[in-house]
Amino acid sequence: MQYVLTGLSVGSVYAMIALGFYVMWSAARAVNFTYGDVFMLGGVLTVVLVEMGLPLLLAGGGALAIAALAGAVIERVFVRPFNREANAIGWMLTTIAVGIMLESFTTITYGPLGRPLQTPFVEQPIRIGGSGIYPQELILPVALVIVTFALEGFYRRTVLGRAMRAVAFNRVAAGLVGIDADRITLLAFALAGAIGALAGFLIAPVIQASSSMGVVVGLKGFMVAIIAGIANAKGVVIVGVVYGVMEKMIEGYLSTAARDAIGFTIMILALLIFPQGLFGRREVQKV
Amino acid sequence: MKSLQNPPFPRRRAGLLGAGLLAGLALIGLGAPAQAQRAEPCIGASWELTGPLAHTGLQIRYSVETAIDEINAAGGVLGQRLRLVAYDDQGEPARAVDNARRIGERDNCIVMMGGFRTPNAIALREPLDEMGLPWMGVISAGTQVIEHPNGRNKWMFRVSMKDRWVAPFLVEAARARSRNGRIGLVFEGTGWGQGAVPDVTNAMRAAGLTLAGQETYNIADQDMSAQLIRLREANVDTIILYGVDREATNLVRSMDRLGYKPQIVSAWGVGVQFAQTAGPLAEGVIVAGTFTWMGQLSERAQGVLQRIQAKFPQVRGAQDLLLPSGTANAYDATYIIAETMKLAGRIDREAFRQALYRVNFQGIVTNYAPAFEAKQERHDAIKPEAYRLLAFHNGQLVAIDQTPYAQPRR
Repeated sequence: MQYVLTGLSVGSVYAMIALGFYVMWSAARAVNFTYGDVFMLGGVLTVVLVEMGLPLLLAGGGALAIAALAGAVIERVFVRPFNREANAIGWMLTTIAVGIMLESFTTITYGPLGRPLQTPFVEQPIRIGGSGIYPQELILPVALVIVTFALEGFYRRTVLGRAMRAVAFNRVAAGLVGIDADRITLLAFALAGAIGALAGFLIAPVIQASSSMGVVVGLKGFMVAIIAGIANAKGVVIVGVVYGVMEKMIEGYLSTAARDAIGFTIMILALLIFPQGLFGRREVQKV
Repeated sequence: MKSLQNPPFPRRRAGLLGAGLLAGLALIGLGAPAQAQRAEPCIGASWELTGPLAHTGLQIRYSVETAIDEINAAGGVLGQRLRLVAYDDQGEPARAVDNARRIGERDNCIVMMGGFRTPNAIALREPLDEMGLPWMGVISAGTQVIEHPNGRNKWMFRVSMKDRWVAPFLVEAARARSRNGRIGLVFEGTGWGQGAVPDVTNAMRAAGLTLAGQETYNIADQDMSAQLIRLREANVDTIILYGVDREATNLVRSMDRLGYKPQIVSAWGVGVQFAQTAGPLAEGVIVAGTFTWMGQLSERAQGVLQRIQAKFPQVRGAQDLLLPSGTANAYDATYIIAETMKLAGRIDREAFRQALYRVNFQGIVTNYAPAFEAKQERHDAIKPEAYRLLAFHNGQLVAIDQTPYAQPRR
């Protein structure tokens, strides 16, 4: 029971990060490898804004807005100029580099240690038998469901969302019908920035906000996206949650120290069997 | 008839020979151990000044600079001002070795001071031996920093705790507080954490006990429920912890989730920041250390704290001295260095090293009488008798006798 509860919470974070990768990949066929640091911004900026005197929700909203802006800037400055050719990979290097810079800058200005983010939802856990969970952790799967459906609705029911889908489907054709693909990509990265920061904002009260909080989470979120099939939103959400629960099961019944080694091995085996990802489809191109 | 006597050297040849002899002597001089040279009245330091461990270097710097100001205000050392030359190693052993070379060969300082990480200190063994440069540790507590496997530690000294001595201290504190004798060990998956396992196991055996559970976690782990469930099932009521603030916070949060509240007796990786991140969950956690700046202080320690605050305005009070024992150790170490230089009578590394075995000093941590002895084990100045139990109470880390946790729970 405990492993399912905490696994759901942790898995929801992985799923939200993977969802952000999905949004970016869909628009640009590139991702922001500094995305773990955008997740970190959600927690760290909220703490900073709260310490400056803003109420929690306003601080969280401000952090999300700044992270969205950061996502857009990263796309414009560090991805777009390096992603013009068909098989360009320069954006990998630039986004990794900007991630290192972002983390170093945060360490220098914010400090290397974690800081608490107080909310009423981490004061008293809900106990069920010998298990327990903080209400704050239960907010995460709820937020994941809301974000997933909101994203689905946005893609299907809004002009902007449809434009994003069009760009994802065929960037050149979308341009021919008057869609500004560059602008849409910029907005997609901003949207992903906000999703990542939301995850950071929601988990920070449980784990403390620190400059290094995004390193492992960003890596695992990317892995989840790849295993699921990065172009399938529902897939990344399901795999993210399942991976979170699986991690806790490994910790509980196999080995704590070897958790990541076992988890990564299982994922690599899954990728060997399903090279396009568990929910991915083979891309067929007419030549 | 040919003379059997060797012909006398022409004057020119004799001159050349003399010059060659002098050059040879000069070369021999250059090849001689660096410790034979006189040194500069400076303390060279390799600390973690940037990166994820930047706060540790800063905590040492606070007290070392304050002590140096005090020493210089009182006339300096041997008529000269004592200086600090600090380099950043970012917690990386290779950088620490580079810094040691700078300090020993370019700056020619009389002594080098170490920082937070044990691997950095261990990496310095050979370079320090080659240069004949005395080294003074103030935090890194790894046993092998001082007790070298070859048994020939000549240059490394420490004013800090030693893991081999800490383990029995923690075991005794845990034994006194366990109601059922079921003691578990939780350690971080680092060299420091894993290195503690044999120390604690041996100390438990010496106390006639066995570990009822042994669990580890990875750095940055956010949830330790699995480990705690196993310890709870093993009926463990007291945990010996080798971890640092962030993961310790996540540990007590996991305990809170489960409603499982064993007594934690922690090594000194847990510092003042833990009270801020864990909030009320920090209450009652016991930590081994050498000093705390919180609670009732001696007049002298109060004065040191005030001078640190005056020099570093960012230190608003004791709550900003995050590694209280390390900061205090560094303060005492700086004075021990100065007193040793005076005792040596000249600024010379070998004379300094010899004087370390004779120096006495009443510090804020303990009375060093003498600070060191000429055997490897006693290159540690702070003996186990000076180790203290501290406890978190009302958001402060204070001496345990100033809290309700002084008495064992039984």
